[in-house]
Formats: sequence, C-alpha cells, structure tokens
Amino acid sequence: MDPESQSQIKAVVDRFGNEDVVVVLGAADPDALEVAGETVTSGDPAYAGPLAGVSLGLPVVHILEPEVKEQVDPQVYSEQVGLLELTLDVEAVHSAMRKLRGEG
Amino acid sequence: MGGEEVADTPPQRHEGAVGPGRVLESLLAGGGEVATTLVCGDGFFNEQPDEAHEAVRAWLEEVRPDLVLAGPAFAAGRYGVACSHVCRLAGDQAIPAVTGLHPENPGRLVYPKAYAVPAARTAAGMKEALEAMTALGRRLAGGGELGPAEVEGYLPRGIRRPGYRDRPGAERAVDMLVAKLSGEPFRTEIPVEAYDAVAPAAPVLDLAQATLGLVTTGAIVPKGNPDRLRRASETRWSRYPLEALEALGADAYECVHGGFFNMIACENPNLVLPLDAVRALEREGAIGRLADFYCCTTGNDQRLADCVRNGREIASALVDAGVEAALLVAT
Repeated sequence: MDPESQSQIKAVVDRFGNEDVVVVLGAADPDALEVAGETVTSGDPAYAGPLAGVSLGLPVVHILEPEVKEQVDPQVYSEQVGLLELTLDVEAVHSAMRKLRGEG
Repeated sequence: MGGEEVADTPPQRHEGAVGPGRVLESLLAGGGEVATTLVCGDGFFNEQPDEAHEAVRAWLEEVRPDLVLAGPAFAAGRYGVACSHVCRLAGDQAIPAVTGLHPENPGRLVYPKAYAVPAARTAAGMKEALEAMTALGRRLAGGGELGPAEVEGYLPRGIRRPGYRDRPGAERAVDMLVAKLSGEPFRTEIPVEAYDAVAPAAPVLDLAQATLGLVTTGAIVPKGNPDRLRRASETRWSRYPLEALEALGADAYECVHGGFFNMIACENPNLVLPLDAVRALEREGAIGRLADFYCCTTGNDQRLADCVRNGREIASALVDAGVEAALLVAT
C-alpha cells in the first residue's frame, strides 16, 4: 500500500478513532490484498509508509464480499463494481479475505 | 520510502536504521546494531548499475561492517537483482552478506552464491524473512562453518562439498526408489536446478529478408482488454492483429500491466510495443516484413512454469506463421 493511502487512513483514524472505521479493499490480486490487510491491521510490513510499526487493528472487508454488496445501492454497485464483479476471480478474492481475517 | 514513484531514487546513506531496519534493531536485541543503511531505488539500481555498484562499494569500504543484510526482496525482480549484487559486492570485500528472496526471484540468477533465505512473495512475510536473515547473518558473521542449505535453511547456492554418509549410495538410492514407488516422501540428493539455461537462438542471417514477429510482456492490449488479461500473475498469452496498422493509437490500445506506472504506456502504447519504429524499419528495408499479429502477456509476477509454457506456445505460433526473428521488447 503506497505511503499516501497509508497517510490518509491514519488521518481518518486520528480523527474518528479506530472503533467506527472499517477498511473496504478493492484490489483483485491476493498478494496485494495480503499486504493491504496487514498494513491496516498490524502495520505496514514493508516499513516504508506512515503505518510502519502502527497497529491500527481495523476490520477489513472487500467490496466484492456479499455482506458489503448488500449494503450498497444496487444501481450504484452495478455502475461502479458490476463489471469488475463479472471479470475478476471473485472466489480467489473471498478466499484471500478469509485467510486475511484468519477465518481458515 | 515508497513504491514505484520513488524507484528512481539514487543511492543515499542514512545513519542507523531506516524502514525495516527498525525491526532488525529489535531482532538484534543488543547483540549488534544497525550502523548504517544504504537506500536506493530498484529502478535506479538496475538502470544505472555502474553508479549504483560504485556507491555500494564505496559505502562498504568506508563502513567496513561485520555483516550486510540486503532486502528482503520477496518476489520483486528488480529489487532481488539489486540485493544479489549487494551480496556479491560485499563478498568481493570479504564481508559476510545475507539477503531474503522468494525462490523464484530472478535475482538468484545474478549471483547464485549469495546467501539468501527463502522469503514469502510479498512484504507480508517481512518479519519471518528478517528473523531468518538475522539468524543466518549471525552465524556467517561469527565466522563459523555453515552446513548445507537444506540444514541451515538458506536457498541452495549450487555448491557441492564432498563428505561422508553413514550408508553407501546404492542403499540410499534403493530406499529412495522404494519410497517413491510407495508414494512416500523422500529427498533427492541431486536436486534438479530450478532454472533452465536457455540456449540463444542462432543469429538471423539476413534481417533485410526476414519476417519479424513482435512479442511483448508489457500487456499492451486492444482497448477494453477483450481477453481480460490480468494486471499480474497472468497464466495465459494472447495474439492480436497488426495488419494495416502503422502505429498503436491510444484510442484503440491500452496497457494493463500492473507492475509499473502504465499511464505513459496508455498514452502512447508504441513506447512498449514499438510498432511505429518497426514499420519505419520495414519501409527502409532494414527488415523484410513484419508478421501481421503480435503476441502479448503480462510479465508481472508470472509463475516460472507459466512463463516456460507461454514461451513455448508463443514460439510455436511464430514459427507456424513463418516468423524468422522475434523482437521481445523489454518493459
């Protein structure tokens, strides 16, 4: 995750605290998900950005997960995510997210 | 420091620990300290190797550290190459050095004798890699004799040393065969090298008469990405027509490679797949003819097995089309 995104997430948590903040990921690549998830929970594993050594412990979900999809206006979801949902390997994303959250 | 946007950063020295070095400090736990850190963008290191190598050499001569830890580079190719060079340069000055590489990192080809611990694909494996690098580094810096790779936990360096075993080779071989036939695990004593040496093709006799094929791993695809070529970890390749095209327009082609900042390639796809330049050469008579299609995949984090298969399939498609020379354009 690039330093600028880390900085924005850190600013949000500094302002609102980490109890009401959830990170919604959008990457399709399992490796990228792993790094992004680690960054907003345990801290930037690459020690390159503002979240190096900062353990925010934020809950992490993915825009392609059904629980997230349910909460979005279907028309907006279809416009913004519909094409991605059709073309990406959605099961690979689900599986990476389960692993990320230690759900086996 | 960051990602692709700072890949061109020239070498710079920092006192003490920077970035992952802070984790190293805690792993050393008083049994040593991070004296200095050399930072360099992996783009710079690979594009201006003379300057980068000289910076490493001068830094090592001045600091004379007891141990150099480079990386870990995980599966990042350019970074892995840089780390291997650092290990080689340290070796030239008899300074022990350790890096951390994913077993498929091409950096291993640069200096196979580097001591590299196996690392995960991504920085998510940072802590484990640094722990292994520190442990191996301590043993190297202590001057003790290291055992074989499989015992000490580093990646094989292609070095064999004579030694004694309890039982003769024939008995061990039969045991292995029995285990293999029974479907039980066994460990070969002569592992097959992970990388094949590819023999270069014979030179093209007369380029002015030859049919040239264009191949790219830069993921230049018709706009809309009809075959859904992936940004990374692609397993397939595609072919697209070139007939009647003089150049690749930004209105009709785009770059979907996820391993570099691809906006510039989207604005002018010819920078990656130089159709405009090759057409000019064709008109000048420098090459005979350009094949009427190009072959394309995403050369980003592709598994070695897929690279080999894709390479064979692309070569076969080119041969079938009467192509006598292929231009594989670097990204």
